[in-house]
Amino acid sequence: MKPWLISFKRFIQEIWHDKMLFFICLSPILAGVFFRFGIPLLERFFAERLHYGLHLDQYHVLFDLLLGALLPYMFCFASTMVMLTEYDERITGYLAVTPLGKRGYLLTRLGFPAFLSFFGSCALLIVFSSSRMPLYLITLIAFLSCLLCFNISLLLFALSGNRVEGLALAKLSGLVLLGLPAPFFVPNEIQFFLAPFPSLWIAKLAVERKLILLIPAVLTGIVWILPLYRKFDHKLSRC
Amino acid sequence: MRMKGLLWGDIVFQYKYGFYFLYTILTVFYIGVAITLPQSWREKIVILMIFTDPAAMGLFFMGAIVLFEKSQKVLDSLAVSPVKPIEYVVSKLLSLAFISTSAGLAIAMASGLPVNLFTLTISLFCSSCLFSSFGLIIAAKATTLNRFILATIPIEITVMFPAVGYLFGWRPIWGLVHPGVCMMEVCLQGSFVPVAFGILFGWTVLFLFFALAVIRAMLQSVGGVAL
Repeated sequence: MKPWLISFKRFIQEIWHDKMLFFICLSPILAGVFFRFGIPLLERFFAERLHYGLHLDQYHVLFDLLLGALLPYMFCFASTMVMLTEYDERITGYLAVTPLGKRGYLLTRLGFPAFLSFFGSCALLIVFSSSRMPLYLITLIAFLSCLLCFNISLLLFALSGNRVEGLALAKLSGLVLLGLPAPFFVPNEIQFFLAPFPSLWIAKLAVERKLILLIPAVLTGIVWILPLYRKFDHKLSRC
Repeated sequence: MRMKGLLWGDIVFQYKYGFYFLYTILTVFYIGVAITLPQSWREKIVILMIFTDPAAMGLFFMGAIVLFEKSQKVLDSLAVSPVKPIEYVVSKLLSLAFISTSAGLAIAMASGLPVNLFTLTISLFCSSCLFSSFGLIIAAKATTLNRFILATIPIEITVMFPAVGYLFGWRPIWGLVHPGVCMMEVCLQGSFVPVAFGILFGWTVLFLFFALAVIRAMLQSVGGVAL
């Protein structure tokens, strides 16, 4: 346990010095304030001044989904950037053969941030949810968002050879999040092209509120982790 | 000859690390999105997509490229080679501008954007060089990717917000001194295209020289000593 804590402390110190930790904490709060208070103001402004009805009520669940995913995404993205830098500078190989080990490295770089952002995500949704989600749904959305972001980060690190490839992949990995707006804009029969992505099932769970949708949401999340972990393990073995 | 070698090296580097693949996928995706949009929204959303992604790619990727070169000691080798800072900067800008301009043009043409392709090409090229110059200036000072990404946020806000405002109807005449607004004016085929084009070109040249000064200083101090 001690090597894990030391490694995690080092990671937190690094993103603290980069000011990234401050940004990770601040920007979801700003987004929450905007979604909760800015959007109703914007709707009123459009209606009163421009005589144009924006009618964003139907998208309040989508705003909540985005808010729920924001903190875990940012935290995991920051840790992916740290991991890619450590890999390029050949620190990862050394860390993996210390008492920390490969699994400890993954846990302290991605597991702990995802775990911590679960609580942050719950708190954000409780305070700023514009669709007034019930607590059980907030917990599920926060948990599934953390799992999704853990997957995205694992994918970025496992499949990229260096930070340049990592950043290119990060841009492409945004497509994995396309499942979130899909139930709001894409017809049902086309939505299922996005079925392999956990994001679609998270959004459907939030929209339809049927607990049965939790099964594909968790399963798609876990199915992604297994091959990616193997790839991650293989990558660290070659360091 | 040296310039040609540098440029070719950068193009191969970007090809090897998936930039061409990435922008092929993203271009197809953006075209798909553009085609599904209602005609009344299409023009503005397409301009917004082109401006915020292909045109701005240099700002996003330059940090990773320069930091990777730093960690691989490429800059140390370049510093003691006959390569001049201007050649290094121009090579980076041109190689990224090629991808930006091609992707932006493909999106504009496939989605039927009613715009003069010649002016769009030139303005895309200038915008790309401008964003890449911003990226180079920040990347030269950055020590980590996270720090680079954070440092790009104020630039993005400063360049993007007035431009997006202009696109959606906030159009004060003095806004034309802003490079993002100039890009929008050219894309929207407004009444001040030649002025906007001139101002955009001016900003591009100005920041090219800023980037050059920063890169010169960086190359003179790699390894911790002033050369």
